[in-house]
Amino acid sequence: MSEVRVAVLSGFGINCETETMAVFEMAGATAVRVHVNRLVNGETSLDDYHIMAVPGGFSFGDHLGSGRLMGNRLRFGLRDQVRRFVQSGKLVIGICNGFQVLVKMGLLPGDEEVSLTQTASLALNDSGHYENRWATLEFDPNSPCIWTKGITRMRVPVRHGEGKFVTNDRKLLDRWSESGQLAVRYVDPAMEYPSSSDEVLPYPISPNQSWRNIAGVCDPTGLVFGLMPHPEANHSTWLGATWTRDVDQGEHGEGEGMAIFRNAVNYAEENLL
Amino acid sequence: MGAETPVFSYEVTTRELAGLPDARGDSVKGMLASNYGVEVGAIRVILRYQVKADLTAEEAERAVYDLFADPVMEQGSVSGRLLDDPRIFPNAPHTVIQAGFKPGVTDNAGQAGLDGLLTIFPHLAGAAAVATSRTYAFWDVPEGVDPLWLASKLHNPMIERAAIAKRDDCEAAQWPELDFPDQPALEQTEPAVVDLEVPDEHLIEISETGLLALNLNEMKAIQAHYRDEAIREARKALGLPAEAPTDAELECLAQTWSEHCSHKIFAAKIHHVDTDTGEDSTIDSLFKTHIMKPTLDIQNEVDWLLSIFHDNSGVIAWNEDWSLCMKAETHNSPSALDPFGGAMTGIVGVNRDILGTGLGARPIANTDVFCFGPPDYSGKIPEGLFHPSRVMRGVHGGVRAGGNESGIPTVNGAIIFDDRYLGKPLVYCGTVGIMPRRLPDGRESHDKTPTPGDVVYMVGGRVGYDGIHGATFSSLELTEESPSSAVQIGDPITQKKMVDMILEARDEGLIQVITDNGAGGLSSSVGEMAELTGGADLDLAVVPLKQAGLSPWEILVSESQERMTVGVRPDDCAAFEALAALHEVEATVVGTFTDSGAFVVRMGENVVAHLPIEFLHDGCPQLDLESEWTPPEHEPISFPNTDAQGMGKLLTMMMARPNVASKEWWVRSYDHEVIAQSVIKPFCGVNHDAPGDAAVIAPIQGKTQGAVISNGIVPRYSDIDAYAMAAASIDEALRNAVCVGVDLDLIAGLDNFCWPDPVESAKTPDGRYKLAQLVRANRALDDVCRAYNLPCISGKDSMKNDATLHGEKISIPPTILFSLIGNHSDVRKAVSSDFKSVGDRIYLCGESHQELGASELAYMLREQIDGVSGIGGRVPEIDAERNLAMYRALTAAMGEGLIASAHDCSDGGLAAAVAECCFGADAGANIDVSKIMGDCTEIDSWGALFGESLGRILVSIEPQHCAAFEAAMNGHACYALGGVEAGDQISISNGDETVLTASMSSLRAAWKGALDGGGPQ
Repeated sequence: MSEVRVAVLSGFGINCETETMAVFEMAGATAVRVHVNRLVNGETSLDDYHIMAVPGGFSFGDHLGSGRLMGNRLRFGLRDQVRRFVQSGKLVIGICNGFQVLVKMGLLPGDEEVSLTQTASLALNDSGHYENRWATLEFDPNSPCIWTKGITRMRVPVRHGEGKFVTNDRKLLDRWSESGQLAVRYVDPAMEYPSSSDEVLPYPISPNQSWRNIAGVCDPTGLVFGLMPHPEANHSTWLGATWTRDVDQGEHGEGEGMAIFRNAVNYAEENLL
Repeated sequence: MGAETPVFSYEVTTRELAGLPDARGDSVKGMLASNYGVEVGAIRVILRYQVKADLTAEEAERAVYDLFADPVMEQGSVSGRLLDDPRIFPNAPHTVIQAGFKPGVTDNAGQAGLDGLLTIFPHLAGAAAVATSRTYAFWDVPEGVDPLWLASKLHNPMIERAAIAKRDDCEAAQWPELDFPDQPALEQTEPAVVDLEVPDEHLIEISETGLLALNLNEMKAIQAHYRDEAIREARKALGLPAEAPTDAELECLAQTWSEHCSHKIFAAKIHHVDTDTGEDSTIDSLFKTHIMKPTLDIQNEVDWLLSIFHDNSGVIAWNEDWSLCMKAETHNSPSALDPFGGAMTGIVGVNRDILGTGLGARPIANTDVFCFGPPDYSGKIPEGLFHPSRVMRGVHGGVRAGGNESGIPTVNGAIIFDDRYLGKPLVYCGTVGIMPRRLPDGRESHDKTPTPGDVVYMVGGRVGYDGIHGATFSSLELTEESPSSAVQIGDPITQKKMVDMILEARDEGLIQVITDNGAGGLSSSVGEMAELTGGADLDLAVVPLKQAGLSPWEILVSESQERMTVGVRPDDCAAFEALAALHEVEATVVGTFTDSGAFVVRMGENVVAHLPIEFLHDGCPQLDLESEWTPPEHEPISFPNTDAQGMGKLLTMMMARPNVASKEWWVRSYDHEVIAQSVIKPFCGVNHDAPGDAAVIAPIQGKTQGAVISNGIVPRYSDIDAYAMAAASIDEALRNAVCVGVDLDLIAGLDNFCWPDPVESAKTPDGRYKLAQLVRANRALDDVCRAYNLPCISGKDSMKNDATLHGEKISIPPTILFSLIGNHSDVRKAVSSDFKSVGDRIYLCGESHQELGASELAYMLREQIDGVSGIGGRVPEIDAERNLAMYRALTAAMGEGLIASAHDCSDGGLAAAVAECCFGADAGANIDVSKIMGDCTEIDSWGALFGESLGRILVSIEPQHCAAFEAAMNGHACYALGGVEAGDQISISNGDETVLTASMSSLRAAWKGALDGGGPQ
């Protein structure tokens, strides 16, 4: 295989597969829409891909908790394939509902053994409802995360009702922090970089009142990454929230969100081909 | 699964963790405070899943944390009530209310729970059911708040049940417990024969008691059909009752001929009299004369109108590779009965119109426009109606869930308030679709290609008792007897799976013809497509049902949701079914398209209906209606005496008017950016909270060609003249589109009429006037669309928007929603409404006149100042040629990059528009209106500041571009008014005299606070 191949999962209410495929293509990879059942019935295999992306959406309508039922489909129906994929050093990203899926199935924040044990969750926003608004993210420069290398800040939309990152064992937060797994957090854009802190920022700077302002996490290896906000929704400058104020005619081009996907495709080209 | 199958009750609630509130409970608390001013101490919510299945004890226990409860943040239980656990609830609540669905009502969470159960225990397939309910536990309920009242705010008795534990019950730990909502078995009735050889008054009775909504003429046309000797002979040969229709035939005719489906009023012959001008004329079909004709004339001039009038939505060529289509629908009556379910069904229903266009289009954007009674309405609410604030919350919730879960962004919309929407709210849902111009197999995707012999599939959901008589019911006024079966609850995930599957099938060339099952169900979808091949043969016995025992006519007309009807060539059936299986979508062969000339419906071996296609589709007699126009008389507006600060206070009051106020709290909870295409969003400005005008999307990722979507709606003007109302709606839609830089050579419109019953009768003595309003609105549509070169590619009408409850009749004001879709040549040149920088110069493009009749100011003065001021005066008049010339000049200037911001002047006039543009810049403004006073002789400060003259756009220009801009606008009304200023002040003068001053922070607080939906932050 001379090209980086991305399996973009679809089906059961996933709904961001079109733009998720588009950003990987823009980053130079070949993206394929793969219905989850095509993996379950053996029509295709994750082994044929270097990157698996679980896009955003409303899998199973978020009923019984966002990402729960899709997480179970993967945890019970594709357990061995997913573990083999991760353990062979390949890359995984979950965005929004995809992040919720990865957390509920225990792949994130995850563990060395890829045991698929759930240790964190995403609770209903403190506002009690779904919201679409733009947020500013800041990335941990010491994170092992492959996807976030070299990125400092990024402006992206959040579009979720259940994005408040929590755990029932607060000691884990310290451990994830030390290992750099708390890869991305909400910050106040008015503050100078770096400004990320553990103290929960006021709404709506933190749109969901996530613990420690966590917007996304990676696994211990940095190969598996997930986040609530939507970097794929800022793939071009003309999709920014305030582009009519801050982008001049001649300066249009790639949007801030693309850096994440370029990181992954570059890593795959260098290490997985 | 028998009656003896055990039921396991799972309960789930938020775990007690520091920093983790019970956000569900807090939301209810916020809703009670915001809607009703009731402050409860604390509310906790417990979710319950009743599982009816033969689970072993071990399986039952495993499902607690493997399925129903989140092991990290939730507490779950399958044995015993959580309320009895003192570790979770150390203090007993004071009131407990449990609410769940009635038997047979769509329970989406229950369906998802069942799917999840089968993921873990596949052996239970076909032998398990899951039902959901919610338990609300209250602490410290204020004195005098009755638990029954609380319960009434937390469930809708039309579709839900509730059980209550009052304080005594709570002290005794007697918690409410609803049974599993088992569906009672229905009794299937054999096909009946309806004798029409009866006196006329009995014919009317048959129509009324059967909810058929057919008038005497129509009943007699059916009677005549069954007297035809040739028909009788043919029926004998088929073994059908020769001289009378079956119930299935009568139902099928009733829905095909319903006002909802066949638009009889728009097709009527109208005798129109104008007492003002002396006109006395006859109009043979408003639709053909004023909507179809202008569009066909435009079609002769352009090459991009691909499909108009005959499909589920109109299709335009967008570029060489892609076409766009758009449709807007209303779902008013169901939304009055069940705001959440009715509105959700509305949005997912119009999505299916797009999926059913041509060979299938992909829905890519939704628009939602609602009309409600005032949210702060304090008058009496007739029994049987909900308070407008509850209708609003429910409708908004339904559209939010329907759109968000379907992955379709809500890109544009509006919310309008008027007392007269108390009886029937208007819920307009629109959807834009995209499809490739050609499929891989070479066929043009906007054309359906059925041939006799194609197999008819029903795809998606199953047929149930829900949704029987929706089409005929919506053609009747709302009364206290309105049936709950006419309401359905949408199931977006079933539909999303179906959309994914259908679009794959389309691209593989497997679809020959497709339409949705909306109003009228299979009767309508198969009946309509049968017209294309000249016949169809449908077998009701094989149709998958939600519950056994439905009678043939019920299966035929049920409007159960999430279903498409698809025609597939016999050779393609295997591939089609494989694709359905992969997506876990039910697809069932229910018949065949034929060229027999008849729509034949069977129940197994027995023919239950045989309707000649021609009679079915063309047999309905034309209505003859009377119309008479006499202009209404109104008292003039009485203006208060006030100074500049007083005017500032009036502007502050204006910004808090629900029609003007920020809808941010509501719009934020729509996903408006999924698909990563939203260029001009509902919000703009430095704080992302200033209002956008039209939406701009760039639907092909990475490409810069865009589409513009906008809406116009101004029902107030109908109080003076529906002609002005229609003209203003069209101009508003176009004006909004011009503000973002639409390509004026590729624009198309959708006309969506909602009217009170305009047919004169004992119940509607003012029918002639209401019909004259309709005539005048249609003439405006004709005149203005021709002038703007704006063809109407699709439309819809809803003509019975009256509610009569306990003798009190409430009719809506005649209302048109005009939606527009257009091309945008390069989205990088799109313009947003927010002022950009301090120092930028502010201009008003377009002429201002003393046009305050039926303005937002007029209503504000009447309702909020003196209670007696009239609304009379000149209603805004349109000069479409003048407007279009200015729009073209402004568009060209945008292409040159000269325009920093552009914003539409509408409700609240120039003063409100200036304030909104300032919000986006976090700045103030200093303007002088003296230049616009030259536009007409009688204009005064009221007219200049709050007048609503059409064709006006407020722009700002960077100082270095001003000369070029002024040159570009030469020959058009365009006045430099002032500039964007730093600071908190907005100041408007007329020459040397300051006429209005206000602080931006107070304007902003009024504007943002009025419609804040509350809830925890």
